[in-house]
Amino acid sequence: MRPFELTAPESVADAVASPGTFLAGGTTLVDLMKLNVMTPQRVLDINALPLRGIDTSDGLRIGALERMSDIAAHPGVYPVISRALLQSASQQLRNMASIGGNLLQRTRCGYFRDVNMPCNKRQPGSGCSAINGVNRMHAILGTSDSCVATHASDVAVAFVALDAEITLAGASGTRTVKLDDFYRVPGDTPDVENDLRPGELITEVVVPRLDWARRSTYVKVRDRQSYEFALASAAVALDIQDGQIADARVAAGGVATKPWRLTAVEEALRGRPATTQSFEDAASVAADGAKPLSHNSFKPALLRRTVVRALIEGSR
Amino acid sequence: MTSRLDGPLKVTGGAKYGADNLLPGMVHGYVVVSTTAHGEITAMDVTAAKGAPGVIAVYSPFDSLEMRPAETPLFGTTWVPLQDREVTYYGQPIGLVVAETYEQARDAAMLIEVSYQERPAVTSFENGIPTAEIAPAPRPGVEAEITVLADGVESIEDALAASPVVVEATYSTATQNHAAMEPHSAVAEWTADGLIVYSGNQAAYIQAAELASALEIDVESVRCVNPYVGGAFGGKGRTSVTAFLAAAAARALDRPVKVVLTREQVFTATATRPATLQKIALGAAEDGTLTAIRHDSWSSTAMDRSFVEPTSHGTSREWYATPNLAVSQRMVPLNVPPVTYMRAPGEAPGSFALESAMDELAIALNMDPIELRLRNNSTAPPGHDLLWSSKHLDECYRIGADRFGWAERSPDGRADGDWLVGMGTATAMFPAIRFPATVRVTLRDDDTAEVGTAGADPGTGLWTVMSLVGAESLDIAQDRVIPLLGDSALPPGGLSGGSTATASVGSAIMAAATQVIDDLTALASSAGAPFEALEVSYEDGRVLAGGRSMSFGELLRATGNTTISATATSAPGEELTKHSFSSFGAQFVEVRVHKWTREARVSRMLGVFDAGRIINEKTARSQIMGGMIWGVSAALHEGLEIEANGRFANADLANYLVPVNADIPAVDVHFVQYPDTLHNPVGAKGLGEIGTVGMAAAVANAIHNATGIRVRHIPIVIEDLID
Ligand SMILES: Cc1cc2nc3c(=O)[nH]c(=O)nc-3n(C[C@H](O)[C@H](O)[C@H](O)COP(=O)(O)OP(=O)(O)OC[C@H]3O[C@@H](n4cnc5c(N)ncnc54)[C@H](O)[C@@H]3O)c2cc1C
Ligand code: SF4
Repeated sequence: MRPFELTAPESVADAVASPGTFLAGGTTLVDLMKLNVMTPQRVLDINALPLRGIDTSDGLRIGALERMSDIAAHPGVYPVISRALLQSASQQLRNMASIGGNLLQRTRCGYFRDVNMPCNKRQPGSGCSAINGVNRMHAILGTSDSCVATHASDVAVAFVALDAEITLAGASGTRTVKLDDFYRVPGDTPDVENDLRPGELITEVVVPRLDWARRSTYVKVRDRQSYEFALASAAVALDIQDGQIADARVAAGGVATKPWRLTAVEEALRGRPATTQSFEDAASVAADGAKPLSHNSFKPALLRRTVVRALIEGSR
Repeated sequence: MTSRLDGPLKVTGGAKYGADNLLPGMVHGYVVVSTTAHGEITAMDVTAAKGAPGVIAVYSPFDSLEMRPAETPLFGTTWVPLQDREVTYYGQPIGLVVAETYEQARDAAMLIEVSYQERPAVTSFENGIPTAEIAPAPRPGVEAEITVLADGVESIEDALAASPVVVEATYSTATQNHAAMEPHSAVAEWTADGLIVYSGNQAAYIQAAELASALEIDVESVRCVNPYVGGAFGGKGRTSVTAFLAAAAARALDRPVKVVLTREQVFTATATRPATLQKIALGAAEDGTLTAIRHDSWSSTAMDRSFVEPTSHGTSREWYATPNLAVSQRMVPLNVPPVTYMRAPGEAPGSFALESAMDELAIALNMDPIELRLRNNSTAPPGHDLLWSSKHLDECYRIGADRFGWAERSPDGRADGDWLVGMGTATAMFPAIRFPATVRVTLRDDDTAEVGTAGADPGTGLWTVMSLVGAESLDIAQDRVIPLLGDSALPPGGLSGGSTATASVGSAIMAAATQVIDDLTALASSAGAPFEALEVSYEDGRVLAGGRSMSFGELLRATGNTTISATATSAPGEELTKHSFSSFGAQFVEVRVHKWTREARVSRMLGVFDAGRIINEKTARSQIMGGMIWGVSAALHEGLEIEANGRFANADLANYLVPVNADIPAVDVHFVQYPDTLHNPVGAKGLGEIGTVGMAAAVANAIHNATGIRVRHIPIVIEDLID
């Protein structure tokens, strides 16, 4: 860790006007500062800003500084969101980590985290160590020749499935962006991960009202039962009427460079009976276009299986 | 059941570990490690680091600390850092930055530029198998290749060819790190009396000897203090680089120095368990009687070839009755960090192979796996005349099968909703060993007694065992016994390694207690003493004669003494010519594998053990439980991934997985208690390591029972179970 200057802006206007890197729970930022992966000279502690509140009166509005644990425990939150949160990190981390920070957490690619290794995301143009390295945890969808790192957030997968939006405050005003559009695939600029402009602050996450999303779940498949990132995950919400699937939302995590909406699976589900056979048929297209790497040729099959399991459990 | 004496101190933060020592004027060292696996360091630019805030000194192979490799009878040669410019593995310590604060030292270390003349690194274990070298003889008189053949049998191949049923398979196990909670660390200070080092280690007296040798000073002038050790598991047997560097830097700077490895550095700058490959062939008669065992084993090793994982020697050599046996041990030297003992070295990975093969044989024979094992229960290791001193493995299996509900197991597992459920079992064995140990027992005039030896308690429960055996031997209450441990100023003994400490120290305590009681009764009846010229006996902490009695404290006061001490040594001896010795156990595991997503989770486990007399059931259970969890970890989680360039891809606790609480259901442990006084006077055999033996095979066997999929490597991960 390099020495840095720490200040605490007193208002949103103050925060977006000050140059520096925002600090919320610090569970990503401080971790990466200790590894010298992030080396901000000025750190702005935003925890005193009034970006709080969980409002479920019409859909869901979450202040960017709400803690993962509080959101997960809130009774009005859609199951897919609270389950994604409860399967993230550990209780201690969830008590610290904010929802805004969660959406901006960095990849867990081990080469990104080791400053001795080439990495295009950390140091553009230096090369990607993962493509010919140990890449079992890496992505099979949305990858490029310059980066194959997964997006690590669980709850972002649930948010993308539910068409969530984020509100951004900047020096020149406030704007709203669909989370799915906010994230970028790496292309040849893997250092650019999203549409955040310099100085912009996430103030709120908004999930549009979707009453049938009460029937929803999040399945996370991983190498141990807790405290581990996904090898594959699926967020699903199902609108089932008289045993028929009227509508569906499906997104995947752990397999792609951003939270991966599976619209083809949703399409294949609509109008079909809510049976395991339908789920299997629909999931068969989940990994279409996947490009497995040397260590993760199993991921397309695992993704399809994870989607089937999530649909079965979500339909109950 | 006695609670761990050091428990309250540990949970309240009162126990002082090595790095907790904060000495006046102390400065901090940060270790620099190599980023290449093979080559020569041609230059280290330390100018920026030397100019960084707070930096006091930067040591490197170009500006080194005065040391030489440590030589001791137990470990032979131990490497010490910074003495040459050769790099033989990625993550090798190559420098030390000393600064006023830890943060200053760490930040300055990042400024060092290292240039290497790189050489090709040999890092693939698999590629090295065809050119593997025969392992060195494990002990004088024991070769790496051993063959035992029945009369008239020409070769192990003939014996296998003549066997009605043969199973043959290749198994492999991953490189592992001990990853103890306490990172390797040391605080060193030079005083008028010499060197004091506070550093977690498996035996204070051995660390003192290694440091004395490396620093070329008298062992009497080195004092090592390690009352509490935050886990060791074999990874703190040899003196750590932190202790060598702290001691040498403290000498050079004439200030106390603290050096602590980062968690990432622990993975490379200490030592690991080697990777292994094992080829096993089992031949049996139709009724399951073994006719031949062939077990060939390969182990990765570091370029210094200082250790080989003895898998075939640790298992097939001893475990089952067979007329024909051939075991071999080869090694593949690689540019990887040093390799060393790790909890059940040999037995843990060896039992994964042998006990998986036994399960495969049971299936080939259509026989219950427990019945197969009992059919081949041995009364002595194959080809040996010395019978097991005490063996109750059959009882372990009987009790275990009953407690676990083995009778309900179907050969094809069962389903519970979307989960496939299976049960597996495996045998566990670990040799019963003891080392010479010396203990001093001191009776004090306040009616308390001290029982002391140098060794270490790395969380095993030795503190508690010493007080219990001390109380029993002195016939006084446990709370009157003060154990002293983890200080090389005490008599040598109590090395925590090889599951030996209880038997070794316990026997020495008994001997020293007998001696001190003799001395006490002699004092009581000596001229001018309260029981002059009487026939004095001792009971309940009191001397008795002529219808009168006095506590030993009263007697000491009455005779003008504050203490009376005796020191005694107990060592293995004649018994080694009479019997073979081992602990035994039966492991049971139930796993659940998800029908769709294929993750395997352990849902129940039970271990039943014959480990001689159990001195303290509570700490014994904890040891076994920890060992069994280690086994689950090896089976399903743990493994270092070595990249082509020799870098460990997952050298941190985020990526080197061990189970979390959610992976470990309740662990059931049971002991059959048959004190083995043929082995040692206390009757205890070891149980520090046996808990992990057999577990990985029991898990793999349960997975096979649940899914029909046989996985012959560990860790077993999701993709192994996706067809
Ligand atoms: C051991 C470990 C395990 C984990 N496991 C999981 C897991 O299983 N699943 C999962 O989803 N996550 C996991 N995480 C990641 C964790 O959820 C994130 O670290 C956390 O959510 C980040 O939130 P924070 O408030 O601590 O962010 P910080 O670390 O404070 O900030 C993260 C980044 O976001 C920026 N930032 C923060 N708030 C704002 C804002 N309001 N506007 C603009 N920028 C902002 C910061 O500048 C910084 O760049 C794990 C983390 C750790 C350390
Ligand atoms: S996958 Fe992306 S983050 Fe990982 S090394 Fe390659 S460029 Fe860096």
